[in-house]
Amino acid sequence: MRYEQFVFRGVTREYFGIWIVNVLLTIVTLGIYSAWAKVRRQRYFYGNTYLAGSSFEYHARPMQILVGRIIVLVLIGGYNLIINIFPIAGLIVMVGLLFAIPWFVMRGMRFSARVTSYRNVRFDFTGGYWGAFLAYIVGGMIIYMSAGILAPLASQWMWKYQLNNLRFGDRPVLCDPRVDRIYTQWWAPAILFVAGAAFLAAIVGVVGFYLFYELSDSFISDSDNDMSIFVIVALIYAGMIPFILLYVVCSLIYTAGVRNIVLNETLLDGRHLVASHISRWRYAGIWITNTLATVFTLGLARPWAAIRMARFLAAGTGLYATTSLDEFVGAAQQSGSAVGSEFMDVEGFDFGF
Amino acid sequence: MASEVSGEWRPPATSRATPACLSMRADGVITVTAADGGRPLATAPQVTVEVSARVGQIPRRLSFPDGGQFETADNDGVDALLAPFRRKGVVHGLERFGPRLFVFVALVVAFSFALYRYAVPVLVEVAVAVTPPIVSELMSKSVLVSLDQGVFEPSALPAERQKTLHDGFSELTSLTPRGKLKVTTTGSPAYSLNFRKGGFIGPNAFALPDGTVVLTDELVDMAGGDDELILGVLAHEIGHVDREHSLRQLYRAAGVTTLILLIGGDIGAGAQDVLVQGTAVLALSYSRSAEREADRYSVELMHKAGRDPAAIARFFEILRDRLGDKGGNDMLSTHPATPERIEETRRYAEELQATGG
Repeated sequence: MRYEQFVFRGVTREYFGIWIVNVLLTIVTLGIYSAWAKVRRQRYFYGNTYLAGSSFEYHARPMQILVGRIIVLVLIGGYNLIINIFPIAGLIVMVGLLFAIPWFVMRGMRFSARVTSYRNVRFDFTGGYWGAFLAYIVGGMIIYMSAGILAPLASQWMWKYQLNNLRFGDRPVLCDPRVDRIYTQWWAPAILFVAGAAFLAAIVGVVGFYLFYELSDSFISDSDNDMSIFVIVALIYAGMIPFILLYVVCSLIYTAGVRNIVLNETLLDGRHLVASHISRWRYAGIWITNTLATVFTLGLARPWAAIRMARFLAAGTGLYATTSLDEFVGAAQQSGSAVGSEFMDVEGFDFGF
Repeated sequence: MASEVSGEWRPPATSRATPACLSMRADGVITVTAADGGRPLATAPQVTVEVSARVGQIPRRLSFPDGGQFETADNDGVDALLAPFRRKGVVHGLERFGPRLFVFVALVVAFSFALYRYAVPVLVEVAVAVTPPIVSELMSKSVLVSLDQGVFEPSALPAERQKTLHDGFSELTSLTPRGKLKVTTTGSPAYSLNFRKGGFIGPNAFALPDGTVVLTDELVDMAGGDDELILGVLAHEIGHVDREHSLRQLYRAAGVTTLILLIGGDIGAGAQDVLVQGTAVLALSYSRSAEREADRYSVELMHKAGRDPAAIARFFEILRDRLGDKGGNDMLSTHPATPERIEETRRYAEELQATGG
């Protein structure tokens, strides 16, 4: 059995050039170039991700993506228009959307898989509608209604849907993570969140109470009332930021832990074992420092941040190959439409293998 | 004999690779031969071979019509080989790291600013201009219906008081371009004044984009007998309708969010969220500049109608005094009753009276 490590060979300065040109041309073309930008970006990241000496390739065509983006923007625009024009009818539309999301997720995953290849063999995704409905809609609802206690169950559904339906050429991927194993990654972030939230609530309560009574008079009689609204908004944001940060840290730790558990229970072609051993805390740390760096440099640090994260994830992922990885045979597939894929993209979902 | 490029050859739909060389004849036929021994593996005219565009240092792939693939890390070699037939990638040329990228950074900053400052407002104006009146009517009707169901009760104002205010309102609207039409293209009135008991909304007046203006009993009570004050407030609401503030705000938010989403893929999820939140704060300042515009509109319209242009300032004074008493009110969020606003409307009223006689 040979261990093959994923390696990411992207370089920050090289990607900076690609990135700034992407942004520039996207702005100049009022967004139209964003489809071409996405293809170049994805090709750079896939093409620099190596396993056993070969890199991945992204084959989507910009026109497919552009059409997908236009359809999705029209849908989002129409949705916003409807909920603004008929707030009551908006409820019905919202329920409709709930049933439409699994379809978008399914199509998006199929598209992403079919435009990805490794050693000239394409991936494919065979997941159906109800699997996506269970994983994303029912899963999302049980997380919400159980206040996060059932999150590991939802995670199990989601990962099983994503990985069990994945094909590499004609070979299946098998993924069967046990829920109790996922729970081992749940306790630490759950306890951290409850304790942290209680602590923050106490601080915010005391400080807020004091500020409100001290400052409320001066707000009203302040000669510049415009400023006071900004102060109030700023205070609300300042009070919320620690909570959001706590929540983000906890979910990142959980996400990274689940990734390790799930990928370590995943088999390619019944014999090659996937391996993931990323440090949960470093993952959270890198994500947060990346976001802070990006925001405080007005976006300019984004190429550095993206390369850094790709390197980190690749270095923590590998494959125990029992035989040579040369044995795969492709099964040609049409890639289908990009609509679903663009929905996930535009809405900020970030899936990947 | 052109130069050769070495790489790997993969036959159609298999992952097994053999070391190979790529060469091209002068007539444009590409040949792949095995690296050991020169056994030919594939041959095709260059027009039928798909060459992946150059992106950074990632391997180039030449896909042959039968599905076979030649892969090489020698990007320059491929470009040199294909030079007689194909242009080098323009975009890749731009992307190369160098001092030029600093110019691009400056351009991105300048364009982002210009887009936000000039392009978005223009697009908003276009969108407002092409929006059929039926859209704002549907929007307004639906809002009023839900407010009537959830918040409002029928007005308890005496009929003659309603009539007096109504007459004043009609007189004001007849001085506006929209009011001169009497009815919109869809046949509904250009402006209509509606009386309601405000419930928890309290003393308030607001305008819906189709010209429906709602006035609460509580505001009429608060004004005492000062009908000019009420008309000043109504003129402010007419200003919102005339300047189409709600539609503008809607399109503006939609336009900015769309831009962020389109560029967002290259910014990253976390930073994208921060940006969307940031524009929400900016929207607040935009809505306050709309309030100020409506204030000036009120002063102008009242002046035009031969009424007291500073009437709305008296409304702000009442608000200020009441807020001072109670120490907090929902009014704060929608209509900041600032001394600055009082001062500004008074100043503008005096200026108008001085110049316009």
